[in-house]
Amino acid sequence: MPKKLVDGNEAIVQGALRAGLGFYAGYPITPASEIMQGLSKSGIAFVNAEDEIASVSMVIGASLAGKKSMTATSGPGFSLMQEGIGLAHMMRVPVVIVNSQRVGPSTGMPTLAAQGDILQAYHGSHGDFVSIAFYPNSVEECYKYTIEAFNAAEEAKCPVYLLTDGMLSHLFESVDLDAVKISLKQRDLKPLGHGSRHFTGLLSKEGIPKTKDSIYYRQWYKSYKDELSNAADNYKFYEYIENNNSDTLVISYGILSRAVFEFKGEFALFRPIRIFPLLEEIKEISQKYKTIIVVEMNDSQYALLLEAFLKREIKKVPVLGGLVAIDELRKGLLNE
Amino acid sequence: MNDLIKQEMMPAIWCQGCPLGIILAQFANVLAELGLSKDNAVIVSGIGCTGRFAGYMNMDSVHTTHGRAIPVAEGIKTANPALNVIVVSGDGDLLGIGGNHMLHSSRRDIDITVICINNELYGLTGGQLAPTSQIGAVTLTSPQGSAVEPINIQGLSTLNKKHFYARTTPAHVQHMKKCMSEAISWKGFSFVEIRTKCITRSKSPLFKTGCDLLNWLKTEYKITDENRKLKDNEMGIIKSG
Repeated sequence: MPKKLVDGNEAIVQGALRAGLGFYAGYPITPASEIMQGLSKSGIAFVNAEDEIASVSMVIGASLAGKKSMTATSGPGFSLMQEGIGLAHMMRVPVVIVNSQRVGPSTGMPTLAAQGDILQAYHGSHGDFVSIAFYPNSVEECYKYTIEAFNAAEEAKCPVYLLTDGMLSHLFESVDLDAVKISLKQRDLKPLGHGSRHFTGLLSKEGIPKTKDSIYYRQWYKSYKDELSNAADNYKFYEYIENNNSDTLVISYGILSRAVFEFKGEFALFRPIRIFPLLEEIKEISQKYKTIIVVEMNDSQYALLLEAFLKREIKKVPVLGGLVAIDELRKGLLNE
Repeated sequence: MNDLIKQEMMPAIWCQGCPLGIILAQFANVLAELGLSKDNAVIVSGIGCTGRFAGYMNMDSVHTTHGRAIPVAEGIKTANPALNVIVVSGDGDLLGIGGNHMLHSSRRDIDITVICINNELYGLTGGQLAPTSQIGAVTLTSPQGSAVEPINIQGLSTLNKKHFYARTTPAHVQHMKKCMSEAISWKGFSFVEIRTKCITRSKSPLFKTGCDLLNWLKTEYKITDENRKLKDNEMGIIKSG
């Protein structure tokens, strides 16, 4: 097929349909609305919901009813979805949630890109849970990792995030999406209407609530965490560009990594694509470098986690959200 | 009890004298009479005393977060229209925290049935003021008595041109079964309000036992067969469309 000019949001629509999406519910929000608009024309079961709380609840119900399901939003809607995300973890329901980030807090600068929801994606819902998240950096990757997000959700039986941002969602690139070949993970959860199962947000054992059993809670949490971590191990996506002339490793992700690529002559570069769970590979790779720099469009959210993960000090270059000038990056990275 | 109730889960967690047990048994009878079973029906509940309803049914069931039973049910129904999807939950869950979903799923006329067991307060958390509490209701959070009118469930349920609203009580078993049965058979969004009181938290001198409560409901409410707006103490079915 010839190449076509496609933006990030359209690539997410195409990726979701390729993955077998059967249900979408959502609420309009900049910069994610085009995903919803695109899917409203696709012929799949679709609800233009009253808010993001309803959207996430509907995709959970639809997924239990047997359809691969997705919703897409931006920061304010992602905050509203946090209670449903916890429910889907507790009930072990596969769903995909796209968060196209914009500048916050609150309504902030809605049309400008940011990476300010990294910690919310890591631990936004209440209680302990394991986050699985992908963050592509190109239109082709938006397509590819939407499909992988569905695969990971089916395998881990939990919500999986695809993070993007206002810039990547609206970035047009010339791509041949049909040339991308990814095998699809099929569903093994039997749809509703086939038994007497009880899906509940309460801690439960075979459908029976166990709300006073702390010993069982510990057993349950361990096996839950092991299952999700083991499933996520099959999706260790990252990009590493070595540089033998540099003792510094620059870590960046998502759209900002495209700008950081300009500095490949000066530094070694590492880009996590599966940003959560944190990749064990970063530990090994980072050992080769005297200095680690994390540059991101927020006030050092990923750096905070990596510092604890790597148990070493990290140089932080928090360029924040909004329009980022290459000179700002140069100043932060090279101290110029 | 018929086999649509999970016998191994009995006794239920509900208080002695609470009419939820009567409603559960009659709900199961209605489903059996309509030919609904684990092969074609799903029960969805929210949080609260009534929220435990779904877990007692011997069919696939979902116990959602607080207030979200209706959107979860709408997701299920939209994804698989062949399933009969029935929400059973409480007044605080459906009309307080979940009120917005009630407005919009009914407007979209999703073919689900919502059965609201209205005890006029938040029972599971100890008895706090709910949107359904009557003027003067003394609760843990309205020690001077509630100063405002309760939410108008009949009005909300009949807002749309096409609608189905029924009001009944667990003291009128045949009428309650008729309301549930007609609602489940209705094509489109249907809402059944089952009026009761919380035997443990309502602190009413009128009913000390479950028997007192049923007798009080029996004398308080009158059945009308007319398809029109119900007065405060009337039970009946209002439908249009």
